[in-house]
Amino acid sequence: MGVITEEARSWADREYPSFDFQVTATDIAKFAHATGETNPIHFDREAAIAAGHDDVVAPTLFPYVVRMHASALVPTDQLEPDGSPSADVPPLPTRRAMAGETSIEFGEPVIAGDVITVRKRLADMYEKEGRSGPLVFVEMEFIFTNQRGALVARESFTRIYR
Amino acid sequence: MPFPETGTEVPIQVRIPTALDLFMFSASAWLLHRIHYDAPFTIEHDGHPGLLIHGPLQGVYLVQAAESWLDDTARISSISYRHLAPAYLGDELECGGTVTATDDEGIDLDLWVRKSDGTITTTGKARFERR
Repeated sequence: MGVITEEARSWADREYPSFDFQVTATDIAKFAHATGETNPIHFDREAAIAAGHDDVVAPTLFPYVVRMHASALVPTDQLEPDGSPSADVPPLPTRRAMAGETSIEFGEPVIAGDVITVRKRLADMYEKEGRSGPLVFVEMEFIFTNQRGALVARESFTRIYR
Repeated sequence: MPFPETGTEVPIQVRIPTALDLFMFSASAWLLHRIHYDAPFTIEHDGHPGLLIHGPLQGVYLVQAAESWLDDTARISSISYRHLAPAYLGDELECGGTVTATDDEGIDLDLWVRKSDGTITTTGKARFERR
């Protein structure tokens, strides 16, 4: 019984390779405009400096951009037909996933010029019986630090496979 | 200046993301999942009625509803959110919330995204601390 095989189980507590994201003002402006940010500190350097920052400031959820690049910035032959990165998840009977819960604590803001390192760990994996069959919960932990070693964010993200 | 008291409602922001918004979000985050930009794949392969509005984009909407209301008085220190129902391209999303606690150092909010038929798609809790 159970859909988590021994092979999948062996992924528990797996540490993924760390990833460095060199944050440019362009990266920040793209995410800011894509999400309809109106505060000029995200795309106007003068406004950011006037607000007391060294350069443009990333929107609050920019660490999401960092961790997506860490997973998906791979050669296209390492992507599944649905676009998701192949090496990201344990071998489960289904890849059909939905986002579960996200929980983030914030440290220092991300500023253009920062190099953000994300470390990722498969923190937990368990199954529950859903109405239409087994559900597998995969919890990832992400720790984001900047080039000074200061904590930028810590995130726990659970994906549900069904 | 004191924070708004417990029970105060966060002003509602209406968001109606277009196909362009969905594509820009995917592109800026390098989120390659086809269910956010490839309608034939999403409908025929995954059985959805249309393109899905990203869960993380709705997370951004929660943050923005709170940040634009609290302005420069406070900075977010934590947020957690989860998705209860899918939202599709064309859905009109309302984003709002309520103050659940407040003290000298900060303010706690319940936040939500709901469709015009009343379905809650995303619900969350955030803590902001005085600058």
